[in-house]
Amino acid sequence: MTRKRLHRIGYNAAAVLVLLVTVFPIYWMVATGFKRGPDILSFEPRWLPIPGTLENYRSAVGKPHFLEDVRNSLVVVTATVLIALALAFLAALAAGRFHFRGRAALIVMLIVVQMVPLEALIIPIYLSLDRVGQTDKLVGIVVTYLTFVLPFSIWTLRGFIVNIPEELEEAAMVDGCTRAGAFRRILFPLVAPGLVATAVFSFILVWNDYLIAYVLLRSPEKQTLGIWLASFTTNHGTEWGGVMAGSTLFAIPAVVFFLLVQRRVVSGLTAGAVKG
Amino acid sequence: MSSIQGRRTASVVRPATALAGRTTTRRRRLAPLVPYALLAPAVLVLAAILGFPLYRLVSLSFQQYGLKELFAGRGTWIGLRNYREIFGDPFFWTVVARTIVFAALCVGLTMGLGTLVALLLRNLGRTMRTLVTAGLVAAWAMPVLTAVSIWQWMFDFEFGVVNWLLTKLGFEGYAQHNWFDQPLQGFAVIILVVVWGALPFVAITLHAGLTQVPAELEEAARVDGAGAWQVFRHITFPVLKPIFLILATLSTIWDFKVFTQIWVMLNQRPSREYFLLGIWSYSESFGVTRYGKGAAIAVVMVLLLLALTFFYVRQMLKAVGP
Amino acid sequence: MPTPRRRRALATLALALALALVAAACGGSSGDGDKSSAQTGPRTMTIWLMTGSAPPAVVDAVNAEWKKAHPNDTVKVELQQWNNITTKLDAAFAGSNPPDVVELGNTLVAKYAAAGALQDLTGSRGEFDNNQAWLQSLTESCTLDGKLLCAPYYAGSRAVIYRKSMLAKAGIAQTPTSLEELQSASEKLMSTFGSDKRFSAFYFPGKYWYAALPFVWDHGGDVAVQDGGKWRGALDSAESQAGLTALKQLVDCCSRADKQGDELKQDQAFAQGHIAMIVANGWEKGVILDPKQGNPKLEKDLAAFPLPSRTSGQTAPVFLGGSDLGIAAKSKNQDLALGWVKLLSGNQFQTQMATVGGVIPNSTTLLDLHADDPYLSVFDATAKNSRFTPTSPNWANVEAANVLPDMLVSILTERASVADATKEASTRITDVLNSGS
Repeated sequence: MTRKRLHRIGYNAAAVLVLLVTVFPIYWMVATGFKRGPDILSFEPRWLPIPGTLENYRSAVGKPHFLEDVRNSLVVVTATVLIALALAFLAALAAGRFHFRGRAALIVMLIVVQMVPLEALIIPIYLSLDRVGQTDKLVGIVVTYLTFVLPFSIWTLRGFIVNIPEELEEAAMVDGCTRAGAFRRILFPLVAPGLVATAVFSFILVWNDYLIAYVLLRSPEKQTLGIWLASFTTNHGTEWGGVMAGSTLFAIPAVVFFLLVQRRVVSGLTAGAVKG
Repeated sequence: MSSIQGRRTASVVRPATALAGRTTTRRRRLAPLVPYALLAPAVLVLAAILGFPLYRLVSLSFQQYGLKELFAGRGTWIGLRNYREIFGDPFFWTVVARTIVFAALCVGLTMGLGTLVALLLRNLGRTMRTLVTAGLVAAWAMPVLTAVSIWQWMFDFEFGVVNWLLTKLGFEGYAQHNWFDQPLQGFAVIILVVVWGALPFVAITLHAGLTQVPAELEEAARVDGAGAWQVFRHITFPVLKPIFLILATLSTIWDFKVFTQIWVMLNQRPSREYFLLGIWSYSESFGVTRYGKGAAIAVVMVLLLLALTFFYVRQMLKAVGP
Repeated sequence: MPTPRRRRALATLALALALALVAAACGGSSGDGDKSSAQTGPRTMTIWLMTGSAPPAVVDAVNAEWKKAHPNDTVKVELQQWNNITTKLDAAFAGSNPPDVVELGNTLVAKYAAAGALQDLTGSRGEFDNNQAWLQSLTESCTLDGKLLCAPYYAGSRAVIYRKSMLAKAGIAQTPTSLEELQSASEKLMSTFGSDKRFSAFYFPGKYWYAALPFVWDHGGDVAVQDGGKWRGALDSAESQAGLTALKQLVDCCSRADKQGDELKQDQAFAQGHIAMIVANGWEKGVILDPKQGNPKLEKDLAAFPLPSRTSGQTAPVFLGGSDLGIAAKSKNQDLALGWVKLLSGNQFQTQMATVGGVIPNSTTLLDLHADDPYLSVFDATAKNSRFTPTSPNWANVEAANVLPDMLVSILTERASVADATKEASTRITDVLNSGS
């Protein structure tokens, strides 16, 4: 066997290993969602969900207010992502293309703020929102998510903008474009991958959250899917079939979103990053 | 305002001579305001919701603040006592050491294994590469709660696949094994979960970065007899360095703050041997309702993290300029 | 192209966006039925109940009944999850509009009462049904410094659920009536079924402190005692240690449960068929028989007996779990809330809670509701001999710090001797119970 072939086999074997480690847990989750109770809680693992059942999915989807939870989660995540993009882009423009007093301080603050543990801020945030009557409101929670998302977004987008040579805009302006026009026509398309990266990050933060939503929201019709997922574990024990079915459903929007944007995120991050 | 600003404005004005005069001066007067206007919405949101709570957090750390104080809305000022209590407590130093080691392991494994996987991806055939990338994306997209659930289930005491596999492979004593009995084992599982979720991002990003590495240089080096490690160290890595640094810094910040994985995996009731700084802060605040002390721990955490990422932050500042 | 106007437009847009956000944030507190202002209009009252406590039918019935007295007002029941509930309660009580009525686990009441979150109901006690016959432990949980700060809601007590067929097969004719008999019965079961590596005669997860306390109390020990105004941890007393040693003896021989685990999974494990006895709440039978997680076929094979005392013929004192209903001190609808609480804790609906919900009602006068049910009557009987954890506002912190589970795990895994583990736990309990804030 030639050396090259040996290498090939080696690489493929390693690839299979990586594939196994990444995919098996996901398969296990999906399969468990389709298993019947006794098959889930069996000492000998049942590898295939046969005979299967849709009971777990039915119970997951049948939880009270499930559809409202879906609606709320989608609304909240979309609002957060879109507003974050807009605000972060504007702010990153300022931080990346203009010189002004306090710029260095701002950038340091953006990094420092990301180091603060979220959980430590729950009560102060609740009290701040309470003062303006925004607890148990979707607007309140969107604003809260925005504050956690913006620092990273501004910082990342600024990194992108800084790496795009100003000469491009200057050339456009010499040709008669305004500053704003140059931003819109030249800069914006080039930062698109960065915007996608920001969108992804915002999505993850909102979709992953449980604690903030749990503390800030109380009306049953205002809950989000994070809370719904946590409801499968009660003081009566954990309903594993339901958890797995619910988790599968919960992961689908995230997976879809990622598949759509994955290539753009990465290309953007590397292009922006390579030049430091 | 910097002179660069003035120069730019001047170069724009020249072609639009027809509008010169009144509009030019007005523009010059407005120009300095633009960055602030652009920043305004974002900063407003941040200040409104984050600013006050952050201020609150720091001021809480100097107060004695229990449940009674929380409901009454005011605490007792005790200066640095919370901090003195923390620094004087041997448990604090244990927790700090534990947090740093935990974060270091997570970051090290994520970056190390991520790099290996990125290199692997480069050496695979088209189909295999697509498959592995798809697998990585799927793992990356899993929400944290979902990932923790799956792994918790796989490591279950009685019904977990891992215990079953180990028993099948002949390891004694794993028939009914609680992985969280010994913190060492428990943390190994938690690190596994964290790295599993973080690695795809690093691997995929580095892989894209690798495409920037000039293949001819690597080929030339190999022809000259350089080993794989040398090629990596002298040719590949320098190109990857900037991305590597960003990823490492982000990973450090995120892994230092790990909370959910430990909290949920240990059923919301981790024992003291599993306390990291973030968990301890939460437990002091909400578990034993000593919000002042919890806040102080959080502040210490931020300062510590700042110290750890100091070099990168300084580099950032240098790049930003005066 | 009007250059200056364009740039200004951008700036204006940015500012407008900012203003819009602020406006949206501030404009939200318009009347969506909120209870802040003048009490002339229709009011909305918010109730927080924990998931799984009351059957939805009962809640609907209470609401309907309440509506008759308050036709113009609305009641909104919000179900909360137990996980991290204290965080949510802390935030809610600290804010400006907490829920009007809150269901609180009985071990949590003292903490919130001492911090001033709950309304003093001493004056209204006489208006509650059966208020002189309320279950002792529940009433204790609602009392702080002589004041009544909540109304008992329902209770849960524990007994031993067992598999009739297994005991029969092992030749045990009668259910144990003393601790010694329990020990020998378990050993007999182990020798009959012990070849099954997963079999447990007496399944006891290590962290199950609710089920460990009866052993401590039965031997004359306690968790903590009050000594001239201060609390003193008492788990290291000779009696407490004796009780824990007896428990350890039982666990060593006859339990293969996870010594590091808690009791949340025990019903599912029981349903797998490799367990003869567990210490459980009455409602756990429902989980065991649940078609999704358990085994409905076990229905005919299940029965219960009270945890026996070391004194033959008596039962060990059990921990009385349960919930109380409190009214927030900051509530703006005190009168509405009081009416609702009186209903749910009153005769009519407590009867329904017992018959429909299968829980133990809050009054001794209603304890015979399950007289016809051989299973539930066992649990009701044990409720009469029940004890509670120290009624200190800091008790919740002891629970949050996992003192008892950690101690039990040390003992059962033999990481520390009974003497050492109890000494450490007692010291910690003394510390936390007596701490200032």
